[in-house]
Amino acid sequence: MKGAEVISKLSTILDGEELVVSSNGNVSRQAYHLLQGDQFYIRGSMGLPVPIGLGLALAQPRRTVLVITGDGNFLMGLSAMTTVAYIKPDNLKIIILDNELYSTTGGQETVSSAIDFSIMIIGMGIDSVKSFDMRDDENLITEMLKDTIHKPGLKILHLKVEDDTIKVDDIPQHPTVIKDNFVKRL
Amino acid sequence: MFMIDSDNFLSYLTDNGFTLSTGVPCSYFKDLLLALEKDNRFTYIPATREDEAIGLASGYFLGGGRAFLIIQNSGLANIGDALTSLAQLYQIPLLVFVSYRGLESDKDSPEHVVMGDVTKPVLDAYQIPYWTIQEHNWKDVLDNALEVMEEIKKPICILVKKGVLGE
Repeated sequence: MKGAEVISKLSTILDGEELVVSSNGNVSRQAYHLLQGDQFYIRGSMGLPVPIGLGLALAQPRRTVLVITGDGNFLMGLSAMTTVAYIKPDNLKIIILDNELYSTTGGQETVSSAIDFSIMIIGMGIDSVKSFDMRDDENLITEMLKDTIHKPGLKILHLKVEDDTIKVDDIPQHPTVIKDNFVKRL
Repeated sequence: MFMIDSDNFLSYLTDNGFTLSTGVPCSYFKDLLLALEKDNRFTYIPATREDEAIGLASGYFLGGGRAFLIIQNSGLANIGDALTSLAQLYQIPLLVFVSYRGLESDKDSPEHVVMGDVTKPVLDAYQIPYWTIQEHNWKDVLDNALEVMEEIKKPICILVKKGVLGE
């Protein structure tokens, strides 16, 4: 299963009220084209989707905030996870689409193959993390996404996915339009 | 030089709608940070890095809240991408208090000297408006700075020298 296929599947599970923050590059482009609603698509600031999601979750405690991030992006901003662990916001969900590559820039390797994400995140004091390899087995995806989005509490879902050969067009909106459309939903 | 009273300072920020603060400490803000941690009008979140703090405050703004940041000027070197490709690009107003290290009073701390020299050129290069506050003028300066921030919808910096908000 590829990252874009996970995002497609997500679109059947989200109820439209969730606030989604997606990481710069392919992930945001896929989120723009595959998810419904005006979400917050990050264009730059690599490494910051988790803190942006955390700030949003604190400002909107009654809404579910979902961060979708690639592995390279997540690892760049890794220390922000320790802040999430310190705050433990009930309404924050993070999905890490881990293809072990910087896909947007041409498929260069990240260091993620060396890391056990579950053990690392449990070590931060977050025991609600789940990690699955979706490269061979897609059966559980719907159940895992539902569990992450619909069950209460901070949830981290780490998914090993295949290299994303599904290329989608750039996001046509200017970032200020992205922001204005997103803010209107609150 | 006299120090700004921390409680007055925080009351001013409350009156202007700020409810969350984040950043990375500097000893120049020691008194302010002590007051902030005890003040239930604010949530203070200790960030691990200054760029993380920009991300967090930006997310808080997107959710309808208003956050201010407290960082050392060394952190200006860490927030370049967060400023230019997030807060400035999406037009997110942020109030950033920056300690102005590396001046004469820091002559025994060589680690601050270069950043002290380049603090204003760095802010100019980032196209970030900035002001310096002192005990006698801080309210007027902040009134003006916040007005500019609202108008341009972008981050602004307030430089704080030694002894103004701590030590």
